[in-house]
Amino acid sequence: MALREGTYGLLAEFDTPTQLVHAAQSAYDSGYRRMDCYTPYAVHGAAEAVGFHKNTVPLVTLIGGLLGAAAMFGMETWISVWAFPLNVAGRPYYSWPAFVVPAYEWTILYAGLSAAFGMLALCGLPQLYHPLFNAPNFRNGATQDKFFLCLESTDPKFDLNDTRGFLDGFTPVSVVEVEY
Amino acid sequence: MAQHSFSEHHTRALPADLSAPAFVDQWRKRALIIGVVFFIAAIVLGVFSGDHWNHFLRAWLHGFMLCFGFCCGGLCLLMLQYLTGGKWGLIIRRPLEAMTRTLPLVFLYFLPVGILGMSYGQLYSWRKYADWATALQNHEISADLAHAIHWKHAILNPYGFWGTSLFVFMMCGIYIFFLNRYSLKRDADPEPNVKFWQTRFENISGFGVLFYSIMLFIVAIYWVMSLDPNWYSTVYGFQFLVGQAYGVFALALLTLMALAKAEPIKSTFRITEQHDMGKLCFAFVMLNIYLAFGAFLIIWSGNSPEEIPWYLDRIRGNWGFVATLDFIFHWLLPFTLLLSADLKRIRKRLAVVCCIMILARAIDMFWLIEPNFPDAARNLHWSVGIFEYATLPVAMISFWMAYYFTQLKRRPLVATNDPHLAEILEPEHVHA
Repeated sequence: MALREGTYGLLAEFDTPTQLVHAAQSAYDSGYRRMDCYTPYAVHGAAEAVGFHKNTVPLVTLIGGLLGAAAMFGMETWISVWAFPLNVAGRPYYSWPAFVVPAYEWTILYAGLSAAFGMLALCGLPQLYHPLFNAPNFRNGATQDKFFLCLESTDPKFDLNDTRGFLDGFTPVSVVEVEY
Repeated sequence: MAQHSFSEHHTRALPADLSAPAFVDQWRKRALIIGVVFFIAAIVLGVFSGDHWNHFLRAWLHGFMLCFGFCCGGLCLLMLQYLTGGKWGLIIRRPLEAMTRTLPLVFLYFLPVGILGMSYGQLYSWRKYADWATALQNHEISADLAHAIHWKHAILNPYGFWGTSLFVFMMCGIYIFFLNRYSLKRDADPEPNVKFWQTRFENISGFGVLFYSIMLFIVAIYWVMSLDPNWYSTVYGFQFLVGQAYGVFALALLTLMALAKAEPIKSTFRITEQHDMGKLCFAFVMLNIYLAFGAFLIIWSGNSPEEIPWYLDRIRGNWGFVATLDFIFHWLLPFTLLLSADLKRIRKRLAVVCCIMILARAIDMFWLIEPNFPDAARNLHWSVGIFEYATLPVAMISFWMAYYFTQLKRRPLVATNDPHLAEILEPEHVHA
């Protein structure tokens, strides 16, 4: 794969989450779409500000949970009814009350694993390279005490000069051009 | 929704007037009208049922247990939120206090159960056939019922019943009196003295929660379980405890969401706390099915002739239909609906779930009470009397609601002397 060249985007650095959310909201309102916020911790409102409304982790978790329940309940039914029928105190082979607890356990297990791995997969992790780490201030601040907004060059509205001017309007600590 | 919360940048001011909005009077009027209509219907049914008002009395017990659950379950939750702390506890406090102050009415509701149901032996077979030897000779009762009445006489006797019931009402009354009194004093305190008040409430509540739980175990046995003297279950009281919290949470959430149409709750009840309470409801939905199904699974596995008839009485003869309804409304619907994070944040939808939960309490109580009686065990059938369950409890709960709304109007709707107050006035997105 050929290495991409050129500008990945413009990275604005802020000191407070409020400034970041305000800038992100304004960028969204003025038509930017390809952008992302980078913060040391989850900031309420940041995801909504960049137009990220719905995450699919709950759906993945639900599907995982249902699969877990179906798998275990099906396995118990298969074992008890066809594969290895045992007479337990004269109860019917298909004794569903006894199947509920393991099926429930597997619901939790599958749902939990789906949530964890689904979240990682939907975040695009593991990711070995990201252009933003080319920016020194990002490397130092993004996990510490700085709040970043990156407007990406793939956005049709992106223009190196205009966008820089737009970001400067929010009085960020700095605006850095990030290379691929 | 999220966009909306983001736009609320600034800390809101506490409204100057914290008293309940005027429409609460309207609620009370409506509740009274519904109460009167359904009460008249219940009387008419009682006249035509031709069973000497027996179903009326059964339905009265049903209504009493639900109202008792709201009132004293409210007391338990009130004490619980003092112990756990949390912002939801501050916003839910005044509605819970209003629920607890309905105790006089609940005690009035208890009197027919105690006097007619127990003392005159119209509900409790252990009282009706207290002379079990003669009853056995006359073939009025079976040998195992006679044995159970004889064997459990140490607990199932009128002195025990009245002594325990009156003691529980008295102790709940004392707790309710002091918790309500100190709550007003706390708000009137010119110094905040936060530490002092927190310690005082924690000290009252810590023992109170434990005490109430034990007392509820005992009265649940006396008032409901002893309708069938043959059967016993050690998880029974705990199921009532969880069921009460289940119902009280639904009612408190409904109250707050309805009050949020106007000040002062409008600017103090944030979506964040509503979401938190929705999650707590979800927890109680799970805990409830865990206990109910756990008890069923253990008895089903044991398959012993002393225990299993209780379930057979409630499954066979069309009772399986009610058991299924109970399962659907008590667990399946609230569980699947409350799974959604969005639903817990949208008031109209969450209100529907709360109504389902309260209805489920009524279905569950019906399923617990009615099959205890010989004519109904393993035989769910249409009779005029069975409709008492659809009228009298509605009337009793409506009257109870009217009283609850009256109490709600008596005090400011938000407790002010609490460090959480500043936090619930903050915008929604401040805390990550």
